[in-house]
Amino acid sequence: MKSRSPRRTCGVTLGAVTALLALSACGGSSDSKSSSGSTPSTTTSESTSSTAAAGGSGSKLIVIITPSPDNVFFKAEQVAAAAEAKKLGYSTLVLSHDDDPTKQSQEVDTAISRKAAAIVLDNAGADSSVTAVQKAKTAGIPSFLIDREINKTGVAVSQIVSNNYQGATLGGQEFAKLMKNSGQYAELLGKQTDNNASIRSKGYHSVLDQYSGLKMVAQQSANWDQTEALNKTQTILQAHPNIKGIIAGNDTMALGVYAALKAAKKTNVIVTGFDGSPDVVSSILKGGIKADVLQPASQIAQMAVDQADKYIKTKSTGSPEKQSVDCVLVTPANAAKVKSFAVLP
Amino acid sequence: MSVTTDKSVAQPAAPAEKTPKWSSRVLLLLLKGRTLIVLVLLVIVFRAITANYLSQSNLILMTKHVSINAILAIGVTFVILTGGIDLSVGSIAGLAGMISGGLLYSGLHIFGVTIFFSAAVVILIGIAVGAGVGAINGLLITRLGVAPFIATLGMLYVARGLADLRSNGGTFPDLSGTAARGNTGFGIIGVNSWLGVPVAVWLMIVVALVAAVTTTRTPFGRRVYALGGNERAAILSGIRATRIKISVYVISGACAALAGLLLTSELGAAYPDTATTFELNAIAAAVLGGTSLFGGRGTILGTILGAFVIGFLSDGLVLVGVSSFWQLVVKGCVIVFAVVMEQAQQRVQARVAAR
Repeated sequence: MKSRSPRRTCGVTLGAVTALLALSACGGSSDSKSSSGSTPSTTTSESTSSTAAAGGSGSKLIVIITPSPDNVFFKAEQVAAAAEAKKLGYSTLVLSHDDDPTKQSQEVDTAISRKAAAIVLDNAGADSSVTAVQKAKTAGIPSFLIDREINKTGVAVSQIVSNNYQGATLGGQEFAKLMKNSGQYAELLGKQTDNNASIRSKGYHSVLDQYSGLKMVAQQSANWDQTEALNKTQTILQAHPNIKGIIAGNDTMALGVYAALKAAKKTNVIVTGFDGSPDVVSSILKGGIKADVLQPASQIAQMAVDQADKYIKTKSTGSPEKQSVDCVLVTPANAAKVKSFAVLP
Repeated sequence: MSVTTDKSVAQPAAPAEKTPKWSSRVLLLLLKGRTLIVLVLLVIVFRAITANYLSQSNLILMTKHVSINAILAIGVTFVILTGGIDLSVGSIAGLAGMISGGLLYSGLHIFGVTIFFSAAVVILIGIAVGAGVGAINGLLITRLGVAPFIATLGMLYVARGLADLRSNGGTFPDLSGTAARGNTGFGIIGVNSWLGVPVAVWLMIVVALVAAVTTTRTPFGRRVYALGGNERAAILSGIRATRIKISVYVISGACAALAGLLLTSELGAAYPDTATTFELNAIAAAVLGGTSLFGGRGTILGTILGAFVIGFLSDGLVLVGVSSFWQLVVKGCVIVFAVVMEQAQQRVQARVAAR
């Protein structure tokens, strides 16, 4: 009990920690997903481009804040925004708020204390993010919002979002077509505090509710989560074994749904998603998930950085605050042309 | 029916009871069997609402959902029995899933070559990682004197961070492996069935049996109870506390890793957020089953019943179509109610004994 010296104990513990780190880190950056490979950590990766940045006085730092890059969608945003910023001669600080408004607020504080030139933000909630954006504005830092809007205008310089409602109607139309306008279906909703969850659901229903033959027998939130979508789908299938289709509010949930269907040997059930993530696109190509709505995430992130650059230089973006970019439907016909959240011509 | 809360060790034979009032004894029996009674009530209520609830396929499915939490909870029960707590099991499950997923998807890059292991080896590595993290928890607590709550809270963050680092935040999307790499078959533990029962459920049964025998029939098990009942007395009577404590955290870590592998296998994909906040479900199952957070009291069977209550309740609510907000409220109430009942049992027990 008291035989070992504390020094030796520290050694043992440290050794074990080191071994674990090694196992966890090895091979981490060499798989296809890591884009640049220069910085192993995504949550706080910072990279400074050459000092020969575009001229002018003041800060050359753009802070990019998004939800967790666990979801490839946000990862694509980070990568596209950082690449565009670097191209324009800025250094970048990439942070993740994990959908936690408190953490987001602290990260905005970081941006303020680092005297950032601009913030590109995919926010943590339409209402709970207003204060954070206002705080940045008061400190003289312009914010450029992407992907999600906030419930107030005049605080951010730009709010560029994909047209979720338009996208959801596209998804709803394709789902109805695949269902041949009749039969039982279930819907998996996203996190119910996220505006996009309800906008997409409304978009889906604006189409689906017009068909009297289509009957929604279950509607559950799976909080954008893959495992939760899997478990809830399995249970829904128990309650409603004759289900013909499941429409999911995003792609991680669609993948969870499909895993459940595969386990239940019911892959003939129609699944559609929303986002345009590579995993779902490859599933479409294999005949698994049937259709997907692609949000131009990379394009939106680039637009935000371009407008930030213009605003820093001229104090105007030349565009209205609220801008929306249309979504694109992905089906087996065009899935082969999809690359990192964009449909190539 | 043996949801007894045996303080098996070092407890002298209970003083001969002088025929206590029968009503007290019935009450005590009801309280002791409360987890089972709640489970039976749940089944009756949900059966009344939905016909599908008791169908064979739904029972198998719900048991499969239960198995993940039950395996986590069995590991945590060992820790709680010694008077400790393990908050890191959800993160360990995620880390084990990510490390195994990475080994299957992109192999191990070492000295410029890429090595692929067979699925069985990958599973063993995953469990070893969990046991290793558990061992670090145990060393921190015993050798460096960090309180269990803090040590495992720290590990909750560290292990989750390492899981993120493994893939740079991304998902390993396809774990089915290829024949050329010789690493197919990872799906067996999470997807396949044997004799009509999912492999995950068989694994839960095996883990539960081994754990039940270990706690009740081996010297190790008795020492675990002794340590949680009265640590000082246990040490003075010659029990090597350090060794026992490290062992229970290793057991907890290994169980967590197994649960993480089952989740990952079923999904066919590994993502770093796997099993986030599952540690709370596991602790809730143990507490529901009558395990005292002060240590020394509780059984594996009780924990399993607790896991069944939580699982059958949440699946039932989904089946009926209750909104996810109400699901949380109901779950929370059931957990607190369980502890209230445990306190009531203590009081009645004391009264019966005093008579």
